[in-house]
Amino acid sequence: MMETLVSAEAVAKSYGNFSALSDVSFTISSGVTGLLGANGTGKTTLLGMMLGLHQVSGGTLTVLGVDPFTDGHQIRARMGYAPEHHTLPGDVRAADFVHHVAELHGLPPREAKTRASDALWLVGLGEERFRPMGTMSTGQRQRVKLAQAIAHDPALVLLDEPTDGLDPEQREDMLRLIRTVATTFEISVVLSSHLLDEVERVCDAAVIIGDGRTLASGSLDSLRGTGADVVVEVGTVQEAGQLGAALERRAVGHRIAGRSVVIRGDDDSVFDLTRDLCVEAEISIHRLNRRRLSLEDVYLERAS
Amino acid sequence: MTAEIFDRGYRQYTGERSGVGGAMRTLIKHSVKRSLGLGRPARFKIVPIAIILFAFTPAVVFVGIAALIPEAIGDEFLPTYAEYYAFIVTTLYLFAAFIAPDLLCTDRRTGMLGVYLASPLDRRTYLIAKALAVAIMLGIVTIGPPLFLMIALAFEGSGPDGFLGTLDVGARIIAAGAMMSTVYTAISFAVSASTERSGAATAGTLGLLVGSTALVNITADNTDVSENIRLGSLLELPTELAFRIHGEVGEWQPDDISTVSMSLAVVAIVGLSTAWVWSRYGPLLVRR
Repeated sequence: MMETLVSAEAVAKSYGNFSALSDVSFTISSGVTGLLGANGTGKTTLLGMMLGLHQVSGGTLTVLGVDPFTDGHQIRARMGYAPEHHTLPGDVRAADFVHHVAELHGLPPREAKTRASDALWLVGLGEERFRPMGTMSTGQRQRVKLAQAIAHDPALVLLDEPTDGLDPEQREDMLRLIRTVATTFEISVVLSSHLLDEVERVCDAAVIIGDGRTLASGSLDSLRGTGADVVVEVGTVQEAGQLGAALERRAVGHRIAGRSVVIRGDDDSVFDLTRDLCVEAEISIHRLNRRRLSLEDVYLERAS
Repeated sequence: MTAEIFDRGYRQYTGERSGVGGAMRTLIKHSVKRSLGLGRPARFKIVPIAIILFAFTPAVVFVGIAALIPEAIGDEFLPTYAEYYAFIVTTLYLFAAFIAPDLLCTDRRTGMLGVYLASPLDRRTYLIAKALAVAIMLGIVTIGPPLFLMIALAFEGSGPDGFLGTLDVGARIIAAGAMMSTVYTAISFAVSASTERSGAATAGTLGLLVGSTALVNITADNTDVSENIRLGSLLELPTELAFRIHGEVGEWQPDDISTVSMSLAVVAIVGLSTAWVWSRYGPLLVRR
């Protein structure tokens, strides 16, 4: 059974009259979990509450089994955090910075120094570790932030927009690293992001937030599930149009996207009808299956 | 034969963690090193080394003269402990104006505050650790040189008498030095908590110290208000109280301004500064 690391039950947070979060409920287990939502939906507020920096205004939040606000220092010793911003102290060397953060999390100085060096090697900055952070590229600084978050061997790491500002190649590397942190180093990760495809590629589960509440949460498989539509991919765009016209005549809901036709409904009669119409009009079927939802579909569906 | 490490691996850490106390010690150590410019490019070492040299040089020279030619100097050659603050007070203002902004403003501007608050530290323990670091640095300047002076006075033959006398003078030096460090830490913290820009905080600290003194003295010298208005002089109050701690009288006469009033003014300055700093950091949302 997977260990529950974070549990939120009807969590709310308000600042004066402004309500940042109104009803957020989810559980986060080991592995990589995406915290998804548009900019300004309260992701960072939620991360702040997980770190015990802000008190919840309502509901219950537990992290690693305890209340993060009252036992914050205990939790934070076992958590890593990589902030979103890139403006780390420019005159400090990466190795010194990671060493310092590891010591802050309770490691003895000698252990912290060794682990800082190891962590920088693991994120691919072994040769660059004595460079001042002000001379590093955005990609390198993102790696330094990841290194400082994992150097003290936390149980849970919170990464706030870790691919922000990276080019596609650097982004690939960062996502691979995050996956390695979870699978090889066995450190669970909460990845806050507004990029759906990023979460879809690297995460085992996701929590989707919008309008201050949980829109959806669970494993990616359970979130995507199977759609309520059938997708048929035909040979040409013209054939797609032919099939669309035949469906129109029978008043069957559908939409055309290139060579694919998405037909409303997923029971066996839809499959039979599609097959019959295609045979009748001599349309070649290349693929016929239930539509699998992407995270984007789920997000748009729940958000609407 | 050479060996090459191909996989450094990742090791679990199962040892003890030092908790909040350890995090505070780490932050104090790191802040003191940063203030001294250690581990930073050479240009960051210039100001702290120059200030420490300026503060210690007169005391070291006094020790040398008193040790080498004690007969050539009269009893009045060496300054008293309180008088020595005149040599170091400018370096103290400068130190306070440079250190606190560098330690506080930089953390907020670079987002390091968020990294610190994601460790076992919270706002309160973070600020205490930073304040202790600044006070330690200022203490180097306010306590170190008078201790050297005690040695010089001993060579001259006017040092403290016996073990108890030495303890008494030592305690006064530490009390006066700690009081001055605390006041200037509090003032520079209050200004540094008001801006993210180190330069503005440095200028603001110096401006507040000089401005308050100028305003108070102009008012006191040109109106009939009570002499107690001079308690608002942030440059003079700590030095004058240091005189009283050493059992001496400075510019301010005890009949005009009592030691109790001065002590209460110091407590008020530290209290107000602390309240201001907390009001700035308490509701502060950690920057991403």
